[in-house]
Amino acid sequence: MKVSVEYQALAPIIILLASGVLSVLVEAFIPRTLRRPIQLMLVLASIVLAFAYVVINATAELAGDPLVNGGQVKGLRELAASGSIAIDGPGMVIQGIILLISFVAALLLAERQIDPQGDAFASRSSTLPGSEDERQFTAQGWLQTEIWPLYLFCVGGLLLFPVSNDFLTMFVALEVFSLPLYLIASMARRRRLLSQEAALKYFILGAFSSAFFLFGAALIYAATSSVNFSTVAVAMENSSQDGLIIPGIGMIAVGLLFKVGAVPFHQWVPDVYQGSPTPLTAFMSAATKVAAFGALLRVFYVAFGGMRWDWRPMMWVVAVLSMVIGSLLAVTQTDMKRMLAFSSVAHTGFILLGVISTSAAGLSSTLFYLLAYGFTSVGVFAIVGLVRDASGEATHLSQWAGLGKKSPWIATIFALFLLALAGIPLTSGFTGKFAVFTAAIDGGATPLVIVAVVASAVAAFFYARVIVLMFFTEPPVDGPSVVVPSALTTVAIGTSAAFTVLLGIAPQPVLDLVINAGLFIR
Amino acid sequence: MGQGNVYLPIFFLGLLAFGFAVFSVAAASFTGPKRYNRAKVDAYECGIQPAQAQLGGGRFPVKYYITAMLFIIFDIEIVFLYPWAVSFDALGLFGLIEMIIFILTVLVAYAFVWRRGGLEWD
Amino acid sequence: MFHSQAQGDLGIFGNDPAAVIAVKVLGIFVIMVLMTLLTIWAERRVVGRMQMRIGPNRVGPFGLLQSLMDGIKLALKEEIIPKGAHLAVYVIAPVIAATTAFLTFAVIPLGPQVSIFGTVTPLQLTDFPVSVLYVLAIASVGIYGIVLAGWSSGSIYPLLGGLRSSAQMISYEIAMGLSFVAVFLYAQSMSTSQIVAAQEPMWYIVLLLPSFIIYTTAMVGETNRAPFDLPEAEGELVGGFHTEYSSLKFALFFLAEYVNMVTVSALATTLFLGGWRAPWPISLWDQANVGWWPMLWFFGKVFAFIFVFIWLRGTLPRLRYDQFMKFGWKVLIPVSIVWILIVSVARYLRNEGGLESRNLLFAASAVLVVVVLVSYTLDLRRKKSDEAEEQRIAIEAEQEFDPFAGGFPVPPMPGQVAQPSRRMKATISSGAPASHTPAETTEGN
Repeated sequence: MKVSVEYQALAPIIILLASGVLSVLVEAFIPRTLRRPIQLMLVLASIVLAFAYVVINATAELAGDPLVNGGQVKGLRELAASGSIAIDGPGMVIQGIILLISFVAALLLAERQIDPQGDAFASRSSTLPGSEDERQFTAQGWLQTEIWPLYLFCVGGLLLFPVSNDFLTMFVALEVFSLPLYLIASMARRRRLLSQEAALKYFILGAFSSAFFLFGAALIYAATSSVNFSTVAVAMENSSQDGLIIPGIGMIAVGLLFKVGAVPFHQWVPDVYQGSPTPLTAFMSAATKVAAFGALLRVFYVAFGGMRWDWRPMMWVVAVLSMVIGSLLAVTQTDMKRMLAFSSVAHTGFILLGVISTSAAGLSSTLFYLLAYGFTSVGVFAIVGLVRDASGEATHLSQWAGLGKKSPWIATIFALFLLALAGIPLTSGFTGKFAVFTAAIDGGATPLVIVAVVASAVAAFFYARVIVLMFFTEPPVDGPSVVVPSALTTVAIGTSAAFTVLLGIAPQPVLDLVINAGLFIR
Repeated sequence: MGQGNVYLPIFFLGLLAFGFAVFSVAAASFTGPKRYNRAKVDAYECGIQPAQAQLGGGRFPVKYYITAMLFIIFDIEIVFLYPWAVSFDALGLFGLIEMIIFILTVLVAYAFVWRRGGLEWD
Repeated sequence: MFHSQAQGDLGIFGNDPAAVIAVKVLGIFVIMVLMTLLTIWAERRVVGRMQMRIGPNRVGPFGLLQSLMDGIKLALKEEIIPKGAHLAVYVIAPVIAATTAFLTFAVIPLGPQVSIFGTVTPLQLTDFPVSVLYVLAIASVGIYGIVLAGWSSGSIYPLLGGLRSSAQMISYEIAMGLSFVAVFLYAQSMSTSQIVAAQEPMWYIVLLLPSFIIYTTAMVGETNRAPFDLPEAEGELVGGFHTEYSSLKFALFFLAEYVNMVTVSALATTLFLGGWRAPWPISLWDQANVGWWPMLWFFGKVFAFIFVFIWLRGTLPRLRYDQFMKFGWKVLIPVSIVWILIVSVARYLRNEGGLESRNLLFAASAVLVVVVLVSYTLDLRRKKSDEAEEQRIAIEAEQEFDPFAGGFPVPPMPGQVAQPSRRMKATISSGAPASHTPAETTEGN
């Protein structure tokens, strides 16, 4: 019996999960007062170390002929852990993006100066909302440090998700990152009932979609007697069991499309984005979406690549619905977080254009879009967390009136993010959309692109409406104010803004990177 | 010599035991006397007026749920340990090290639960 | 390759003709019922002796038929179904408990191959590669009987008893399951007949003593027997999960409990005491392990265990529930896990280096026992200091005993000093004589 584990290739995942275990020990044995700084150091250090390993793996000299390796000259390209994990160019790019976003989001999660009572999380999640216990723990300044081990496990699962090369590993990764998210989502310090309700909705719907995924995998296994993507792809070419394969593909698509939040599996998005602690919303809207799209790309390019004529019509419908419904419903929202949630649904539709192209250009443009969107999204939610009144975050749109006059800097940066989300030139959003639309036209999806352009125009309306509201209306008398955050959030917002601008002005190095990443390994 | 059906005898033993149990339950209503008394069919209570319990007793301590969840964690650990133990000689050093890592990981969770008072019954 | 260690051949099972299967099935059933009757009788007689009584001696020789008469008496009693009960579940619960109790015995090897009606067949109903797992699985289903009985009675005591019982059984099932791992490691099999075969050179009680101790502790907890009989703690829960059961349904639970006792003893015999193999002085006789004799050794060992069960009941007081859970979760489980690590390393050294790791195992067992004892004494000492602390707090609290703290007057606890009565104070302050009526005295104290 020969079992080998490629430790070098798997290092980023192992580092994150091992520090998660270490972090549990910290929770168990370190005195309360020391926990927060130690956990924070552990989280940031492990993310940096994992990122360093991704870079090392991505720049490693590749043995063998570049032609054989799909035109790729550098970077690891191997099947690890007995073929259940595939470390390749796109996989490592996605891992890199996830780690960058996780680092920035960790800074947001650690922020303690915005809320006078502490950080964004309940002093103790086991207390009943509004109870005497809760008041006491809050008064004593307790902080919930259990979020950090959960966060580490979550990031570890996210890293594994897009590089899983069989359905079972992918399912395990799905659960590893989902369960911590369900838990952290329930821990908001303010409006805890809303937060708990959001977490429960997320959990139940998530469990439901996991079941779909698993059932789909079972059907695929029944048809091809394998769960491995490469084997499944080969077996499907010769299989005549469409009665199993088509429902299987459909169910797996349901599971994955739920995680990216595409219509009609988007119902959880607004509620969860609104109810969760805002730093977690930032993380979830960016990192989870990136990882889920990574997995979606791998499944539909590698395992179901040969069946693209069968699943494309379904994806067309989902993409059109996501863009149209996301944009239209965003227009009607009056709550900032809900509006951004629907905008995220619309963006899912745009990114799906890249998936539908099933070409090298489609893959690389999707990767670029994910990086661009991820950072913009983190930045946008980071700023939403700053605008507060006495009861917490002021998320109603009317409360944002005149913010540009009171806090011109924050309002300007927020406007920048909104413009990027709308896809205005010289921002990262424009480059991303341009790349994806081009790939989609080359892939023969011109009608979709036309819908996408119209949807972008609709979307631009509600982004512009917020900008007009901020700069061209008078602030209300007792309106909210912008809190001055600590260096943590400042760095996070600064990084996001820098990425948004840089990817808009000088996208070429990053475009080269994603193009050179090559294709998925089979 | 190949194995025949080794589960068949269990089925017969089960049938016999089940038949005996069902017979006993059924027989009890014929063999015993029947004298109705309203107090007799009330829920048991030591002297005070019995309160009609909700079916399932309504709410009970959350500790039982925690015990059940911990049980599942450790039961799954045991389920992993059995096949490993049976094929231990065949797995060699790789099996030993992997299982030590696995057990240590579970022990971390165990230590956490212990420190956080998850094992206390007060 | 995988079963290089296992000496027994599972091919001999599953080939019996129908008549032999029927004889074996009936035989096991009859043996179990007889064992139950005998065990109940033995328990009452032995406990009686231990308590300086005689015990039942009226019905039959030495009172041997007493339990049978009790059974008949139960059958003639009125069957009461409480009005709050969920009828279907209420009826099915004792059936589950009794059926599963009998089923576990199917894989216990009672002896080597013998000849029944001219057919050579092993003295065991059946066996397969995962038979110990099967025992655990059926035992887990048996817990349903108890939980459902408690749940469906529509009464508080049974509910709490059933919950306690299930929590207790699942907690001790972990320790039980972990104690098997070392046996499987050494036998390289989960089949009971192969485990017995693998013990030919040395019984596992010698080689794996800590596993044996853990198993025997856990099996007492599993069967809800004293000192772990908390689900039936009369003082707290009346009869536990079977409070609302009467007549033959109650008898079924009673039967299931005793059958389970026999089964876990038989399993302990199989896994640790060499099964049906003769103990040392007898094993010198070359016919000792052939034919029908081994059945005698087997039941001798089982009765030894049952005697210990009875002995425990006659000797030890019942544990408190928190002590009991603490013992299961904080002592048995970590000790088992550490022991599994030790055993696996020892086994690996034996396989690789040809090192005779037996002595290593003995040394490790001794160290483990010492560690457990030391931690126990430390815990005791800490508890003592805790108690001293509590006492100190109690003494402090004494100074300010307020009989009206709970809203209505309560008498002081031992050691507390009651405040003088308010009315008494009033009479004193009003200058009345110090003598007062008895009623006032009782109020003050």
